[in-house]
Amino acid sequence: MTILQLTLNGLALGAAYALVALGFVLVLNAAGAVNFAHGDLVMAGGMLAVALAPHITSFWPAPGLALLPLVLVLMAALGLAVSWLAYLPLRGRPHVSVFISTIAVGIILQNGANALFGGEPRAAPPLLWGGTVALGPLVVSVQSLAILAVAALLIGAQQWVFARTQIGRRLRATAQDPEMARACGIPVTAMILATFALGTAYAGAAGLLLANQFFVTPTAGGDLILKAYIAVTIGGWGSVPGAVVGALLIALFEVGVSAVLSYPVALGALYATLLVILVARPQGLFGEAARRRA
Amino acid sequence: MRSVLASGAVALIAYALLYASPYGLRVLTVAGVYALAATGFQLVFGLAGALSLAHGAFFGVGAYATGILGSQLGWSFPATFPVSLALPVLLALLVGLPVLRLESHYFALATLGIAQVVLLLAVNTPDLTGGANGLAGVPGIAAFGATLPRGLPLAAAVWAIVALGGLLAWRLARGRWGRALTLLRDDPLAAAALGLDVGRLRLQAFALSALYAGAAGALAVHTQRVVSPEVLEFPVMVSILTIAVVGGRGRVAGAVLGALLLIHLPEWFRFLERSYLILYGGALLAAIVLAPHGLTGLLERLLPPKPRPPPAPLPLPAPAVADGPVLRVEGLAKAFGGVRAVDGVSFTLQSSRITGLIGPNGSGKTTVINLLSGLERPDAGRVDLLGRDLSGARADRIARAGIARTFQSAGLPEDSTVLEAVAAARLERDASIATAEAHALSVLARLGVADRARERCGTLPAGLRRRVELARALARQPRVLLLDEPAAGLTDAEKAELSGHLRAIAADGVAVLVVEHDMGFLLPLADRVLALDQGRVLYDGAPAGVPHDPAVVEAYLGAPA
Amino acid sequence: MRRFAFPILLSLLAAGAAHAQPVNVPVLVPLTGFLSLEGTSQRNGALLALKQAPAGLTVAADVVDTGTSPEAAVTALERAAGKPVTAVVASMLGTQMLAMLPLAKDYGLPLVTVSGTASITEQGNPWVFRFFPGDAVTKAAHARYVVEDLGRKRPAVIYQTTAYGQGGKAQLMEQFQKLGATPVFEEGVDTSAKDLLPVITKALAANPDVLVLHLHSAPTALFIRQAAAHGVGVPIVAGSAMHQPSTAALLEPAELKGVCAETAASPVSGGSPEVEAFTAAYRGAFNAEPDAFALAQYDGVRMVLDAAAKGARTAEQVRDALAKGTHKGLAMTYASDGKGNMAHSAVIVCYDGKTRVPALVKRYDSLTGAVK
Repeated sequence: MTILQLTLNGLALGAAYALVALGFVLVLNAAGAVNFAHGDLVMAGGMLAVALAPHITSFWPAPGLALLPLVLVLMAALGLAVSWLAYLPLRGRPHVSVFISTIAVGIILQNGANALFGGEPRAAPPLLWGGTVALGPLVVSVQSLAILAVAALLIGAQQWVFARTQIGRRLRATAQDPEMARACGIPVTAMILATFALGTAYAGAAGLLLANQFFVTPTAGGDLILKAYIAVTIGGWGSVPGAVVGALLIALFEVGVSAVLSYPVALGALYATLLVILVARPQGLFGEAARRRA
Repeated sequence: MRSVLASGAVALIAYALLYASPYGLRVLTVAGVYALAATGFQLVFGLAGALSLAHGAFFGVGAYATGILGSQLGWSFPATFPVSLALPVLLALLVGLPVLRLESHYFALATLGIAQVVLLLAVNTPDLTGGANGLAGVPGIAAFGATLPRGLPLAAAVWAIVALGGLLAWRLARGRWGRALTLLRDDPLAAAALGLDVGRLRLQAFALSALYAGAAGALAVHTQRVVSPEVLEFPVMVSILTIAVVGGRGRVAGAVLGALLLIHLPEWFRFLERSYLILYGGALLAAIVLAPHGLTGLLERLLPPKPRPPPAPLPLPAPAVADGPVLRVEGLAKAFGGVRAVDGVSFTLQSSRITGLIGPNGSGKTTVINLLSGLERPDAGRVDLLGRDLSGARADRIARAGIARTFQSAGLPEDSTVLEAVAAARLERDASIATAEAHALSVLARLGVADRARERCGTLPAGLRRRVELARALARQPRVLLLDEPAAGLTDAEKAELSGHLRAIAADGVAVLVVEHDMGFLLPLADRVLALDQGRVLYDGAPAGVPHDPAVVEAYLGAPA
Repeated sequence: MRRFAFPILLSLLAAGAAHAQPVNVPVLVPLTGFLSLEGTSQRNGALLALKQAPAGLTVAADVVDTGTSPEAAVTALERAAGKPVTAVVASMLGTQMLAMLPLAKDYGLPLVTVSGTASITEQGNPWVFRFFPGDAVTKAAHARYVVEDLGRKRPAVIYQTTAYGQGGKAQLMEQFQKLGATPVFEEGVDTSAKDLLPVITKALAANPDVLVLHLHSAPTALFIRQAAAHGVGVPIVAGSAMHQPSTAALLEPAELKGVCAETAASPVSGGSPEVEAFTAAYRGAFNAEPDAFALAQYDGVRMVLDAAAKGARTAEQVRDALAKGTHKGLAMTYASDGKGNMAHSAVIVCYDGKTRVPALVKRYDSLTGAVK
């Protein structure tokens, strides 16, 4: 029974991580660059939800549900701003330039949040309502179920858009091979900006969902970017479903190992496992080996 | 440029001696610590192109070595400093072997993982490290019973070590080793084909960078007098990385300038209380957007360096060659997945002869070249160069044994000059860069492109790029020259010129293998032609027989209806 | 670099004292990083005390962020030492204190801090003054409340793997041993841990009769919320992070029912007109709820100012006044034990499940809590 309960908690946590990793991998594919501010963008989404919540509560009983679309839209705008400031001027430069410029964005976000909101941990409103429900012998927080539902919905929507719509196919083509996409007449720059907006909106949704159960502080992003980075590596660099599965595995691993051993051991084991995977299977668990060019 | 840097150094010394308060000197000392760490990072990241996120961990290991030995065992500087240098190097050698094989992003993440494991160990082994609290009571820099006071003496000592380390790194970066690292950063496959041991060079850069990081970590704890897990945390790594990039990637002067700027920057904004880091982030963003090549790049644009006078060409000595078979290939085979790309190919290349290798797309021509040059390992078969067995050898060993090659998509580094690119082929042979460039110039002259020696490879037209690539392969003084579609994209005049050069090269005793689609170019040139189809030899004989061989015609045109 | 420094002069003068040499109290505390919440409390407490300086004193204070690295703390102290300094409000992060101590001794600067780290007063350094009960004191109260008042003998100890957590846990273990209680479970929790159900499950499996927490603010709230959700019946006695109003703000009052915590003081709980006046002034000045760190730092700076008002002008005179004098502060009465430990009292507060403001249930005075 305990195992079932822990698995459920691990899945809910993994669903939130999956949203984080998904946004990260989408931008990675389209822009070909690591967005190191991604964790701080998740934090910003949480802070945004905290800041907006009091204004919504006054006329809407379930602020979380109303906040979700609002956070998605505002974070998409923030994603556009970030790409305009820290990505577009650096196109055609070595990839590490974007790595550094997004580190700078992260510093600005983190300290901006600290200056605006202070260092205290804050909680965003729950998506529906707080409390728990009993599922047979299991105690499940309503928010955990909401996280699972929202994550499934958003990940499903992304898959559907990419597979079925014109704009989605263009986004996908841009992500797979920007040069070829440009040759086919796809407005690549616009597609990359759209991906930044989408990825950041997903980061914001993750921030909103995480900030209810696990609170948000200005320094919360550092841990999340590492998790996203690891999820994407485990899943195979650039693989979208791989990133989602990788995120779920990390969360289950975290909950599982800390239930048997301890948190520091779980963290150490996560990195050790990562190193073993990298050395033994550098293409990730699910990825294809990148062909060497000759 | 150099005079600007020199006067900057003088101004810095004058500031330290005459104007700086104890506070100013402390900030300067910290800047020195980071300059040293960033100098090491320039070697592994700037030159070798490996984004090592373990650099902060090496810094921390050096810090903890000095911290633990100094505060717990009472060792002093002459004993602790060597340990702080040696431990990070040992760690680097240990983890470097498996990790350095990884491609860029995976390497970054693996090194980040190593750094996190070291941090976890430091926090969770309180008996050794003092745990999260760390250890107090680390002595200053003390030797022979006297402790260096803080302030000017400490700053001077730290900067003396920075100067020493900087000078060493600068000499290394400008020398053959630095050139070799830049080459393998830009194109590891080409580097291996030019005889450079990529794995060993990377490991050397990784270990040497750890040495610098360890030294910087030791000096950091001598300055702050405590050691705690903060020295292992990610912000240290981020500072070093930003210093290297803002200062100018790969440049020692960049490490120093970047450290001076980025360590002082937050101090200037202190009056903003908690908002100063927002401004710091903004300044960092502005620096990376507005100065893409860093501060040193900016300085160079304002004060362009005077071009060096070209070296006097130095002809390569002609090797003594005998007629007869040079390279024997027997039963060469390679499969990818289930596809047999090369399936039992045997042939012999003769000295002074040009052999053509033809076949339809996907018939295995390029794979044969990759197998012979060691970029792929054959599944079976024997390769024998003048009696020496090279089957399954690494690319750089094969290159050193006397096989040179060119690439289908010309693989010249865009930012290098033509002279530098060709001189790269001599790095592994010649004693100095000057000799390598002199030799390179003579090869360029032989191919009639010496006048282009100063141009950047990226600006050359396609025909000239092929010529430069041929010069680079030729500069290896190969016994066997493998050319992958050398005539692709050339005009008829250029093709005729190329044929002339290839004949002259062969006449010097080189065995030449040319993969080519262009029969009009190849058939008159070759002494003999091999035709491949589905990884097997279909035809081996005189060029004149090719157009009349039914098997070859069928392979190219498909089965007759 | 001094040319580039633009210190904010917080000149709050009492009428007619414009010519007097100012009392300069630099505030060097973490305003960024993971301790920015506590560091901001320190800053606010200190600034409030300076604002209410006794008549006749001219007061100046630079506020400088020390982040979380020892390096930044030492640099900030060196910067502050460039001017005549009366006393320094110094970071509550133990590692930073350990780094600043040798330099403070060199310059002769009294450091007034609220750091709980035991070892900072064990360095034989006469320049450190701790106005918050050290871990030895708070953990003695913590353990005594658990064992003596609740009569529990099988505690499960859950602590953070940070300087704060590891230091406090070591003290807790010692105190429990002294009181004859044997912890049935102990485990460190990383600050990045999200779901705490694993540790709750394991702790309960050891069949404890009380859960003793020594965690930071957010993990404390997370633990209590998850324990409440899973109907954990074992009582929880938390560390001082629980008393911070921002921790309680993360929880529903019902989730807090029955939870107790140790702390030096709980200004929001009132207790005396002076404390209530402090809380009101603090809210007015900073639009935030004061915690024990703010109050202790306020008391510490008050003692410095009182000494200055009585004529102590140099750092040395202030140090002597702090080392030998007694100060009746708002949280408690402060006097040095000879090592710079000024605070020897701790309290236990408990939540009734109706409000987020805890009630004082127990006060321990004159605790010495022998340190290893």
